[in-house]
Amino acid sequence: MVFNLLPHLINGLTLGLLFALIALGFMLIVGVMEQINLAHGSLFALGAYVALVLVGPKPPLPLGIAEWWLAQPLGLRYALTLALAPAVVGLVGIAVELLMRRTYGKDPLFGLLLTFGVAMVIEESIRLIWGTRDYVLPTPPAISGGFIALDLIWSAYRFYAAAIAALVIGLTWLLIEKTPYGSIIKAGAHDSEMVRALGIDLSKLRSAVFVLGTMLAAVAGIILAPIWGIRPHMGVDAVVPAFLVIVLGGVGSFWGAVAAGLMVGMVVGLSGAYASEWSMLSMYLLLVAVVTVRARGLFGKKSILEA
Amino acid sequence: MSKRGFTRRRLLQGSAVGTALAGAGAFFGPWAHNRAYAQSKPIKLGLTCDASGQYGNSGQDDLRGIKIAIEEFNAKGGVLGRKIEWITADTETNPATGTRIAERFIREDCSILIGALHSGVANAITQVANKHGTIYLNTNSSAPSEAGENCSRIKFVWDGNGTNFAKAAVRSAVKDIGKNWLLLTNDYVWGHTTSAATKTEVEAAGGRVVDNLLVPQNTRDFTAYLLKIQQIKPDVIAAAVGGDDVKALRAQVAQLKLDDKPAWINNQQDWPDIWGQPESLFGVFGTNWYHKLALPGVPEFVATWKKMAGAGAIPVPGNVSYNGYMATRELLRAIERAGSVNNIKIIKALEGHKMPAADRMQDFDAYIDANTHQVQQTIYLARRNPKPSDDTDHYEILSRTTPEEALDTASAAKCKLVPYEQVPTVDA
Repeated sequence: MVFNLLPHLINGLTLGLLFALIALGFMLIVGVMEQINLAHGSLFALGAYVALVLVGPKPPLPLGIAEWWLAQPLGLRYALTLALAPAVVGLVGIAVELLMRRTYGKDPLFGLLLTFGVAMVIEESIRLIWGTRDYVLPTPPAISGGFIALDLIWSAYRFYAAAIAALVIGLTWLLIEKTPYGSIIKAGAHDSEMVRALGIDLSKLRSAVFVLGTMLAAVAGIILAPIWGIRPHMGVDAVVPAFLVIVLGGVGSFWGAVAAGLMVGMVVGLSGAYASEWSMLSMYLLLVAVVTVRARGLFGKKSILEA
Repeated sequence: MSKRGFTRRRLLQGSAVGTALAGAGAFFGPWAHNRAYAQSKPIKLGLTCDASGQYGNSGQDDLRGIKIAIEEFNAKGGVLGRKIEWITADTETNPATGTRIAERFIREDCSILIGALHSGVANAITQVANKHGTIYLNTNSSAPSEAGENCSRIKFVWDGNGTNFAKAAVRSAVKDIGKNWLLLTNDYVWGHTTSAATKTEVEAAGGRVVDNLLVPQNTRDFTAYLLKIQQIKPDVIAAAVGGDDVKALRAQVAQLKLDDKPAWINNQQDWPDIWGQPESLFGVFGTNWYHKLALPGVPEFVATWKKMAGAGAIPVPGNVSYNGYMATRELLRAIERAGSVNNIKIIKALEGHKMPAADRMQDFDAYIDANTHQVQQTIYLARRNPKPSDDTDHYEILSRTTPEEALDTASAAKCKLVPYEQVPTVDA
């Protein structure tokens, strides 16, 4: 029994890390900027498409550079793409943040409407540029295929993806908790007027956070692309669990999002194995169960109504 | 930035607005019976095709085929001297949206509705069409229930259904591969009815179903299922999973190299679900048409389709676009045969209509079953082509089953068509 359960626990853990990765950029923007970025899913998709272009056979680079690029082994191109594609999506993030500036300090619904519009524009632009067909992101042989453990065949890529998710989560935590930039970001979220009074340029701070959030969305898109496939509306598949994870974890809580991601992964993984018809619903039931007894989510700030 | 906290409550308020923006909610419009439209006006068709959701890609391929048939008729002057107009809207792979759009199209004077991939959407549109007597062509939803318990006098079903494909595939697989079968079932009408048909065929052939794993719609991660399958160790997996779900499934099965053992029988594979991912194509699967069939008329149709389809994502037609085209073409021909745009006369012109194999670009003659309104036609089994002749040649056709051999008798027993007198009349 335990031996049968173990693979599903491992699967739940890896899935949980992927859910946490998907939610990370969304959480950062909601937690620090108090903005619901409905374009998160589209930026997730855009990351996958940009990576596809860079790793694919016809990169949009000057002729000489393109030849050099294509001469490199797939592993190196893939590794560089993991850095380059989020940077490209980060540029889109800068443009979106510039548009969002008029909504700062106003009802968050304005920001929500704006990012909804941006999401539509990005998704339709993807359709125009790449069409509606599906694509597969090539991955280096070292992280492709399967391996045998516990008498079962496992996907090597899935463990690689979970490891990257853990790494990105760790790096983001280090940035926020262990660097002066992180201290300023947290201070800006807690008391923006005081931060401004200290002479810190708040608009640059917001821009940096938003761009970081969009880059994290792009990283998640690249990592999930070989598992989910690449198609224009793949962002919709990402934004819903991202939203659920941050509500479950508590709005603005870093470790809340990570813990919630792991919980969702575990619940979805186990229900997929033992009551498969509940596997999609299980995450919503988990949310209802947690929010019913703890309205602010697992690690959310206490509301004055609960005082 | 203010000091005001960004609360969970505000986040949930925001999400509610987001959901509303996404178009949730259905509007049920006024009911009306016995309509007549001005006979000098163009005939207006409502094309109920998905552009988003699980079958968004296939819905647009369906639309291409429908539009080409309309364009061909308009090029020769329309039907009965009247031009054909069409409008379309995204049914979102969502039954509630299907209901809303069908109601809207009928309010906007569409006298015939065409298009479907998802059986839930098809059934929702049927309910609306039934109230108004509006003819509805279910072009591509292949749930056996569409020509069974959910059949209708006003609806015609053009794709092969899950039972047809199961009949073509299961018996020989039980004999040649093994008796222990596991069902992988998309958790909605098509998946359930198709897996039920497969189970019947497996048991009739002396096999047994060891488990049935339900796959909720929009599942993107199949690892839990694939681990479970390895633990159960069936001889054969019969998958009734469609749309974007099956694309993700195929990619993950191919990644693990689980595509050889156990054996996979994928009830039906739609061309838009395969295009772009041929490397993940595995197992044996069903289809009712392929663009490389060595039959008269196929190359000409493919050439015309390529010229008229416009900047479509898929460079050659597949079964989905073919069904959209054939359904629309046969409807317009039926109007010509009937010499009338009266719905009852058109229905009678379609019922029992025989379609020669050469005309349908299939191996065997087809016909519209007068008792179920399903097109009984050739069913092909195929697998990934090991020696493709070009970069669109993804299938190797393994077998051709006659309509009689693949006949879905179970659905016929469940289908009860209402008498003509009970159908509200519509003059297009």
